Amino acid sequence: MTAAALSLRGLGKDYGARTAVGAIDLDVVRGECLGLLGPNGAGKTTTISMASGVVTPTRGTVAIGGVELARDPRGAKQKLGLVPQELAIYEELSALQNLAYFGALYGLAGKTLADRIAWALGVVGLRDRAGEQVKRYSGGMKRRINLAAGLLHEPELLILDEPTVGVDPQSRNHIFETVRDLNARGMTVIYTTHYMEEVEALCDRVAIVDAGAIVATGTVAELIAAHAGKGVELELAGEPAAIDRAAAAAAAHGTVARDGGTLRVVPAGGLAPVIAAVEEAGAAIARIQSRQASLESAFLALTGKTLRDAP
Amino acid sequence: MIAAAVTKDVALLLRDRGALISLFLLPIVFIVVFGSMFRFGGDSGKPRPIAVWYAAGGPGEKIVKTLDATPGFRAEVLASADDVRAGVAKETYPAGLIVPARGLVELSIDLGAPVQVRGPVEGALTGVVMRALAPVDLSAMPPLVEAVTPPGIASPMKNISSFQVTVPGNAVLFGFFIALTVAMAFTGERRTGTWRRLLAAPVPRSHALLATLIPYYLVGITQLAFLFGIGAAAFGMQVAGSLAALVVLSLAVSLCAVSLGFLMAAIGGSEKQLGGIGSVVLLVMGMLGGCMFPRAFMPQFMKSIGLGVPHGWALDGYYAVLVREGTTVADVAPSIAALLAFAALFAGLGLALFRFER
Ligand SMILES: Nc1ncnc2c1ncn2[C@@H]1O[C@H](COP(=O)(O)OP(=O)(O)OP(=O)(O)O)[C@@H](O)[C@H]1O
Ligand SMILES: [Mg+2]
Repeated sequence: MTAAALSLRGLGKDYGARTAVGAIDLDVVRGECLGLLGPNGAGKTTTISMASGVVTPTRGTVAIGGVELARDPRGAKQKLGLVPQELAIYEELSALQNLAYFGALYGLAGKTLADRIAWALGVVGLRDRAGEQVKRYSGGMKRRINLAAGLLHEPELLILDEPTVGVDPQSRNHIFETVRDLNARGMTVIYTTHYMEEVEALCDRVAIVDAGAIVATGTVAELIAAHAGKGVELELAGEPAAIDRAAAAAAAHGTVARDGGTLRVVPAGGLAPVIAAVEEAGAAIARIQSRQASLESAFLALTGKTLRDAP
Repeated sequence: MIAAAVTKDVALLLRDRGALISLFLLPIVFIVVFGSMFRFGGDSGKPRPIAVWYAAGGPGEKIVKTLDATPGFRAEVLASADDVRAGVAKETYPAGLIVPARGLVELSIDLGAPVQVRGPVEGALTGVVMRALAPVDLSAMPPLVEAVTPPGIASPMKNISSFQVTVPGNAVLFGFFIALTVAMAFTGERRTGTWRRLLAAPVPRSHALLATLIPYYLVGITQLAFLFGIGAAAFGMQVAGSLAALVVLSLAVSLCAVSLGFLMAAIGGSEKQLGGIGSVVLLVMGMLGGCMFPRAFMPQFMKSIGLGVPHGWALDGYYAVLVREGTTVADVAPSIAALLAFAALFAGLGLALFRFER
């Protein structure tokens, strides 16, 4: 059996007294696309940063393609391409100047570098505007050049940290399709996002991260089957104080996420105790709707949070 | 990889008009402004004119003759005592002598002028009058005093111009401003996330540091070469000592400045804080070190304080190279050693405080 594309063992990070990531175990299979889902502050970026050698872990080990990062950082990092959450690009420079520099960091030079730059620009569809200063690009184009900078050395493993955040739908599609193509050509991909539908469409497997730990892994279908299915949406009427009490009371009988006057509930047992608790708290139920089994309801059941209302 | 970093940082600098102005243009403006403000020594080759009026029958003619025979002065005889006073009041003459037929000779001079400026002229003219009026011929006496430069100091060149002082002063002041550029570069890399990319790349962390420091070291050397080059070409600044000493000093100055920038980056703070606090710190260091007002004219206490900053040592070295004939690398070794010690101190503190991950 060949080594996993990425293998994390007991990986964790403390910032002072706060534990950002507890102790994560994860194996990413070669050629797969793994979605990393989690609410804000769950520890996704911290985990990715430790996996790519940007942040030194407090505990645990990282191996990329079988090469241990702590033992051979050069060899391990050469296999990995990182697309950071922020726009990690020199906006004052042109796309070409940026890529020439980032390529050189991976030991590329001369004709190889020129070829790889042309290829990466082609992949993200920015060949005609490569000579322009990046600051003149649209938001979506900047995201695309951010992606291109992680591709130059044709890494075995590509880690993308929210590559489509704050991007118009057209550019989002473009980036999304690009990643799908790269994955189809054999590149292993780890994809972090807040967009459930991207994960459903793109990823073979999903790992759900919450409060610095992986709370579930599996295919989208497996996660839905195991953790979703019985979700309901309760639309409440009544005073805000009563709704507050109702939300607290319902939480004793399942996982609850609140969105204004609406409670999304995945009951632990049956639905009846939830309804009884809500009514006892003094809130009136205006409407009950069963929610379709989806990755979103699985996420809610696992983390008690909705993905989208995350700020 | 370092070459790629140099290319990248030079391209970034060329796009940064503010940095270009403050590193290359502003010092030239300062050199010109300060150069025209201090005119010390600018006319040292020419004797200074002293206004004289004398009454007939008095010792006036003798005084005029003695004055003309005194190096550094020549007499200019005017039509009346009031003309002499008016000429001094208008600063056409540094001083004047009004010689009546008998009695006290009037030395017309601005008593409000600083004693450093007034004293030498007053003393010299008093001496002239004394020699002229002495009952015996003093010039026939054997000399009582001989002026000799002590060993260890090469003799200063002739025709020192004010640019000989303002070019190195501003080269050092603005040469150290590269520290701000270095610190801002680190902060900017962190803010945009390009620092993350650098850490994720297969380069050792020491190289990641050098990739940011070396480009600015080269820029710093270019800046000093530019300023001294313009100084020589446009302002007639001369190098009395060896060119090698000038080059080695400049290499040490830039190294020290870049190390200081690294320390500033390690201490941290936003780009705004650096721009505010950092530039004040650099200005104060420059002032203490004598970049704006030469330490030679400062009181003893301030003079020694100037050696607490690298600027003071740098300027001592530069003045020696520019002004004293035959100055070699060995002659400015104390300055070079001090600059390297400061560089090591800054770099050491920087390494202790620098956090790759924040
Ligand atoms: N440099 C740091 N110093 C202190 N705490 C940090 C640091 N970086 C992250 N943290 C903390 O670690 C936790 C995890 O943060 P992280 O950025 O990994 O979350 P995330 O899942 O990527 O969130 P988001 O979806 O908002 O990007 C947070 O509580 C955060 O405040
Ligand atoms: Mg994040």
